[in-house]
Amino acid sequence: MLTTADLVTVLPLIIVASTAVIVMLGVAWRRNHAVTALVSAAGLVLGLLALPLTFPATSSPPLMQVDGLAVMAGTLVLVSALVTVILSHHYLTGYIGPKEEFYLLLLCATAGALALVASDHLAMLFISLELLSMPLYGMLAYSFRAERSLEAGIKYLLLSAAATAFLLFGMALIYARTGYLDLAGVAGALVQAPDAWMLAGAALIVVGLGFKLSVVPFHLWTPDVYQGGPAPATIFLATVSKLAVFVVLLRLVLAAPFFSSEWLQTLITVLALLTMLGGNLLALFQANLKRLLGYSSIAHFGYLLVAIVVGNALATETTGVYLITYLVTTLAAFGVVTLVSSPFGGEDADGLPVYRGLFWRRPYLAAVMTVSFLSLAGIPLTAGFIGKFYVIALGVADSRWWLVGGVVAGSAIGLYYYLRVMVTLYLPEPGMRRRDVTNDWGSRIGGLTLMALAVVILVLGIYPAPMIDWVQGLSGLTN
Amino acid sequence: MELAFYLSGLVAVLATVGVITGKNPVHAVVYLIVSLIAVALVFFALGAPFAGALEIIVYAGAIMVLFVFVVMMLNLGPDEDSAGWRHPRHWVGPSILAGILLAVLVTLLIRGDLVQVIEGDLLTARSVALTLFGPWLMVVELSGLLLLGALITASHVGRRSNPSRNRSGH
Repeated sequence: MLTTADLVTVLPLIIVASTAVIVMLGVAWRRNHAVTALVSAAGLVLGLLALPLTFPATSSPPLMQVDGLAVMAGTLVLVSALVTVILSHHYLTGYIGPKEEFYLLLLCATAGALALVASDHLAMLFISLELLSMPLYGMLAYSFRAERSLEAGIKYLLLSAAATAFLLFGMALIYARTGYLDLAGVAGALVQAPDAWMLAGAALIVVGLGFKLSVVPFHLWTPDVYQGGPAPATIFLATVSKLAVFVVLLRLVLAAPFFSSEWLQTLITVLALLTMLGGNLLALFQANLKRLLGYSSIAHFGYLLVAIVVGNALATETTGVYLITYLVTTLAAFGVVTLVSSPFGGEDADGLPVYRGLFWRRPYLAAVMTVSFLSLAGIPLTAGFIGKFYVIALGVADSRWWLVGGVVAGSAIGLYYYLRVMVTLYLPEPGMRRRDVTNDWGSRIGGLTLMALAVVILVLGIYPAPMIDWVQGLSGLTN
Repeated sequence: MELAFYLSGLVAVLATVGVITGKNPVHAVVYLIVSLIAVALVFFALGAPFAGALEIIVYAGAIMVLFVFVVMMLNLGPDEDSAGWRHPRHWVGPSILAGILLAVLVTLLIRGDLVQVIEGDLLTARSVALTLFGPWLMVVELSGLLLLGALITASHVGRRSNPSRNRSGH
């Protein structure tokens, strides 16, 4: 049964869910874009403030495990959602039609992500994964009058449903063999070597989650959905959704020993290699910035899969550090795209030519973009370097030479297209210009957020000790 | 009775094939209903009457009726004249499958051997309810939020006309 102590441990989740209900009632009463955005942001901030109360947790509610990993991932989820809300406000002011539902969907999905990272039971995992994905369909198809947005929503809906079927079938196989749905039970039920059914179940779960992480060969939806969805929805998809799914995959690997069987490790190693190289190669000649960032996020999760293959205590720490660096970097990069596309007017500004000569028009915005792309490429003195360093160190410590080679090769390829985008920013401005940010972007809160993110990228790259301490402290408390 | 299990399973597979090969949405939904009833009968044959009853009440009863309503309201299928609609090839397939299911059910009832044939605890309505509203309360609450999200998505995307069109509006 749920006790009061249990309720305190899920307080952020309760706050976010109640904010969603409040926003819904507010919309039903009177529509007001600014107030809705403000209430959503306030709810997320409150959730963030309530996180320290939940820890150290003496008990966890049934089906959930509020440990260090969950608190760490919860913090990242709430911060990313907050940045998304801030950027959405500016973006949606140009949307003609109801704007408030976007925040409602975003809050629902955030609640799902919070539950997902703490789930300790396959049923909980399934429901919260669906709660994360279902509002995302609506967010991606939000500007459904624009053809691409609707296409993105439908594509994500159909393929995500197929992936869910794989996931469910995998769970059913595992349940049929062990008779348990909670992770501890599943892990404890089979002490001896797992048989073919268990492995098939685990592999199907990896496939289902791999789809959400857009691991090659389950990545085919990614570029179209990233390109078609409204920019804030794409940010949410690239950060919160991927992060939460990755954390739950890590939790499965850490909890259930059959996930670290030789056969499955080989499978994930192959997937990781394919993902690193595939993502980078596909991005190589991409002229659309949103598609390019989509491929880049594929490659980044390929690097991060090294942590899943290794699956020890250091892997948790690596995941934490890498996710933080990936998150600030991706938020900044997509944030610039969002800001340039704001306020909404049909399609987003995502072609590289739009960004040609951005430096000469908007030097600060171009600086944010440059810093984030340097960080994506993993150049020293940026946050991305620290993350990549951790991944390579993890691979070397565990003697996974193939993976280390893949990370190195992928980074080398990646450098080419990241630099290509950066060069475009500084090229002299052509005669005509089509899209531009509004003039006072720096004074707007979205612009300030982006500046702050760029500063965070640099600070984390130069002085990462506090972040590493924080992650170490929390991952030490993961069971 | 093992034969009942396999027969119903076979009917479920055949009916599902009918769903995905059917061109007319209403016919597909009819096949889907047969398929769900067959799955319910699989549960009965295994000796799990509660799961079977839930399958009938929830899926075949509530959800499928909604499906049929929506399909008929949207009027998605190609227009057919009433004679073509009543052509035997449209209803003979589901009828045969449903007939097999009826025969299986009647045989099971007459023989009276609806006993549990697999291992495990028999779930009752009481224990399901106690689980759902006890330890699984969080899952129930999150499902509520999930439905809210789905509802908002449907109501937003399904909006017939925006107050005013998009700037890009084609």
